[in-house]
Amino acid sequence: MEGFGPRIAFELPIFGGIPISDTVVNTWIIMAILIAFAVLASKKLEKIPKGFQNVTEAIVESLNSLTVQTMGEDKLFFAPYMGTLFLFLLLANLWGLLGLRQPTADINTTFGLAIMTFIAIHFFGAKSKGIGGYLKGFFEPLPFLFPLNVMGELSTPISLAFRLFGNMVGGFIIIGLLYGGLTSLSNMIGLSFFPIFQAGVPIIFHLYFDLFSGVLQSFIFVMLSMVFISMQMD
Amino acid sequence: MLGLVEFGWTFVFQIVNFLILYFVLKKYLFKPITGYMSNRTEKIENAFKDAENKTKEANELYEEYKLKLENIKEERNNIIKEATRRAEERSDEIIKVAEEDAKKLVERATQDIEREKQKAVNELKDQLSSLAIITASKVIEKEIDQQTHQQLIQKFIDEVGEVTWQN
Repeated sequence: MEGFGPRIAFELPIFGGIPISDTVVNTWIIMAILIAFAVLASKKLEKIPKGFQNVTEAIVESLNSLTVQTMGEDKLFFAPYMGTLFLFLLLANLWGLLGLRQPTADINTTFGLAIMTFIAIHFFGAKSKGIGGYLKGFFEPLPFLFPLNVMGELSTPISLAFRLFGNMVGGFIIIGLLYGGLTSLSNMIGLSFFPIFQAGVPIIFHLYFDLFSGVLQSFIFVMLSMVFISMQMD
Repeated sequence: MLGLVEFGWTFVFQIVNFLILYFVLKKYLFKPITGYMSNRTEKIENAFKDAENKTKEANELYEEYKLKLENIKEERNNIIKEATRRAEERSDEIIKVAEEDAKKLVERATQDIEREKQKAVNELKDQLSSLAIITASKVIEKEIDQQTHQQLIQKFIDEVGEVTWQN
């Protein structure tokens, strides 16, 4: 192993070769899972929900109500975006449980999502306040604070992206090192063919870095996106 | 192997991927299920409202019918009372009429009896007198003395008495 960057899965043979990293491949798998879930969920809707429909309705309902609670009744139309974001981040962050590289442990993914939040903040802010009101916001509370306001706004996506990326890549590296270390430990007692210590010990780390941190970070990312957008709009 | 913090094509791919995922999930998960649920909520609300209205209506009808039933009871009582009263009146009348009739009948009977008696007496008197005349004529035909006369009359009366009262 030579560093913790994303590996290149294959190269598209156009524009002189576009590298496709394992981040993208994992994202495609997650997308396939979510799309399959969505299509299955909405294929057969019954008047009285049963089994699977109950689950999907509970998921959609809780995402809708989370959006309404955080952003307000009038911003329910953000629910699909925020819901997609939450479901995607949840699956992406828990991807490490399968021993695969989390798509969120790649700055390209988190920054891409943060940029979309950034665009949403300013697009919907300007739309709801009008261009004048939106621009006026940069000169408040005092005009000479304009550069600071701009800096603040620009720092939002960066902090969003790096918070998630840092958490996930940190967990990914620590767990990677742990597996390496446990393999070495197994080698030391002469079990090079069977790294016995890899069984059991990493569970605690997976629980913390993948499950706890993963779920928490997806929630934080979505909540912050909602709060920033609704704050700029109100 | 790419760098740990290195921007590249992945950035573009991830944005495109996420937008695709967003549109697909919006179309296939969020829109239909949210729509379906709000639809159902509306339906349930309507059903509840409907049920409430129906209950109210039923209660109103119930009250109405109860009132009607009470009226009917009262009416029935009135009718019975009226009928009883009329029957009593009628029976009184009938009894009175019957009594009157009976009285009249008795009166007439008494009168009839009286008349018959009178008639009988009169007839008797007539017969007596005619017989007397016959006797008298017989006596006149045959001149008889006082004694014989007395005897004859006595005999006649005796005879007549027996004969008359035998009929």
